[in-house]
Amino acid sequence: MVKELQEKVKQLFKDKKVDMVIGWRKGSLPLSSSPLFINKIEDVDNLIFDETCQNNLAVYITKDKRRLVKDGKKIGVIVKGCDARSLVLYCVEKQIKRENLVIIGVPCKGVFDKRKVMEQVDNKEVLGFSVNGKEVTIKGQEFEKTLDKFEIASDSCQSCVYPDAPVFDEFITEPRKEKPDIDEFAKVDKFEELSLDDRWKKITDEYSKCVRCYACRNVCPSCYCNVCFVDQNDPQWIGKSPEITDTIIFHLIRNLHVAGRCVECGACARACPEGIDLLLLNKKITKEIKERFGYTAGINIDEKPAMQSYCENEKQDFIMG
Amino acid sequence: MIKIEKNKFDEFLEILKKEYNVFAPKKEGAQTSFKEIKFAKDIEFNNINTKIPKEIFFPQAEELFMYKDSKIENIEKKKAIAVWGVRPCSAKSFILIDKIFGRAKQKPGDKNFEDPLWKTKYDDSLVFTIGCNTPASTCFCNWVDCGPFDSTGSDVMVYDDGNGFLLEGISKKGIKFLSDIKDFEESNDKDRQNIEVLKNIAETMLSKPIDKDLLKVKIDKSWNHSIWDEMSAKCINCGACTYNCPTCHCFDIQDEGKSNKGKRIRLWDSCMFPDFTNEASGHNPRDLSKDRFRQRFMHKFKYFPENNGDYLCTGCGKCIQVCPVNVDVRDVLNKIIEF
Repeated sequence: MVKELQEKVKQLFKDKKVDMVIGWRKGSLPLSSSPLFINKIEDVDNLIFDETCQNNLAVYITKDKRRLVKDGKKIGVIVKGCDARSLVLYCVEKQIKRENLVIIGVPCKGVFDKRKVMEQVDNKEVLGFSVNGKEVTIKGQEFEKTLDKFEIASDSCQSCVYPDAPVFDEFITEPRKEKPDIDEFAKVDKFEELSLDDRWKKITDEYSKCVRCYACRNVCPSCYCNVCFVDQNDPQWIGKSPEITDTIIFHLIRNLHVAGRCVECGACARACPEGIDLLLLNKKITKEIKERFGYTAGINIDEKPAMQSYCENEKQDFIMG
Repeated sequence: MIKIEKNKFDEFLEILKKEYNVFAPKKEGAQTSFKEIKFAKDIEFNNINTKIPKEIFFPQAEELFMYKDSKIENIEKKKAIAVWGVRPCSAKSFILIDKIFGRAKQKPGDKNFEDPLWKTKYDDSLVFTIGCNTPASTCFCNWVDCGPFDSTGSDVMVYDDGNGFLLEGISKKGIKFLSDIKDFEESNDKDRQNIEVLKNIAETMLSKPIDKDLLKVKIDKSWNHSIWDEMSAKCINCGACTYNCPTCHCFDIQDEGKSNKGKRIRLWDSCMFPDFTNEASGHNPRDLSKDRFRQRFMHKFKYFPENNGDYLCTGCGKCIQVCPVNVDVRDVLNKIIEF
């Protein structure tokens, strides 16, 4: 599959269909990959795709990275299902023209959550891994352990119903015809069953670990304000200390700001150095949006986003009671 | 050198607790971080991958003073701190930060400035550093004048030979502390030989260090080079590396409260953030991701060595582990050397 991918990207360069391609290369650690920016055909050989390719590369189209995307240049982005949805979001929100994008889909079988792997091997040093169907063998200095791949997949992958790009220009192999048989909101349903106090406790327990490094915000493709409200200091909108009151305001506002825009890629949760379950509330809001407005972000470029459109027959019980 | 068998660690902890608030690695959830410890059973002895202990002496948020009505209330001084089980890379980081916050005159003409919050905690502290028998693959302490058994910044070096801990006094404070405690047996020649064996094994587990002279020559010429564009392209400018770095010490000062009651606090800041250098005029001298990325490495491997004689990096590898986009400081140094 990787060979096919490399050949396809080479062909795109040869046909002058792309000026640059963003993909992944092997990372410096056994369970990691690294974003790769391909500007010339010789660099294509470094391209990989496997379970370590956890970054959502769409993020390099916006924010401070906007300068990587020169005006009118054609950018190829290699995407998993969720990453493709971010690109669709960018087209919907007019961050990039569709004709300037070449969306190259790859068949995603889920990505590792490094933290889950480390827990399974008692934090022992991992030196390599091999995948065999639904099993993954993790190798270390003096051990080898076979794990269920689903168990060590990122939370976002465990609840993913769009593993393949819903919109693409090229697809390596074939996109799956049927959606995976997964209850995408299983974790949210469980959370909703908790009492109000328990839900609040769960949220405060998680967010109290936050050190305000903003890794979650910075890896999030949907979070691309020119100046984020937490960086606004004249006037200052929010206290900067890692106290729970300010921290929770940061996270809840971020949750609300990506409502109907979050593609549930889980990049936030994987980037968090403190291991906070950042996906849960986003997923909860995704569920609300889906139930109330029948909208899922990043699927269709021509569909009006839930938060930017109005229909008379929308549920209004939150206003009318 | 004295020997403490692992099942006698409780007795040792009791002695230590008399004079000190003891901090040691404690496992909470999936994380192991340095917490105040009351009982030996709470200590996680074996995890080399703890969170860094910087917070003990330099908390992420620290009150400088509080005010109520028109009175200023200073923060009370607490009992002295002992830290058990830091790694050599962390012990050395204390010395590096001390060069900034605890600086007495180092050379004639230096302005004498000292940070009271750092000094009240760090100066009276007792640092027990545990040697690393099995360095991790992300460890590169040997690249930056540190090592798995380096004793810089330690009051007492601790060697774990499997059965027990061997304690060697390093600083005057450490030697005095050990000579004052009784009831523990002295180490013998065989113990000392064992330590040498452990040291030798650890050395072989580390990668070949970079050429430091070449690094100096190259980094001096690198400012305008395109390697910084290439290397910074993937950096998303979060603060995960700086907040997990034992030597990063930049801070911000904020006032929180109302006119009649409140506090002034010092908070960790990060050179990765766009507002770090944002000026009141609206001009930002480090506006681009690349500028901030370059600053981090220049500070660690050029400016700090020029001003203070040491790299501002102890090779702990924590930034490599936490970086969401796999920026590897070793790759950065190699690229600088190779351009």
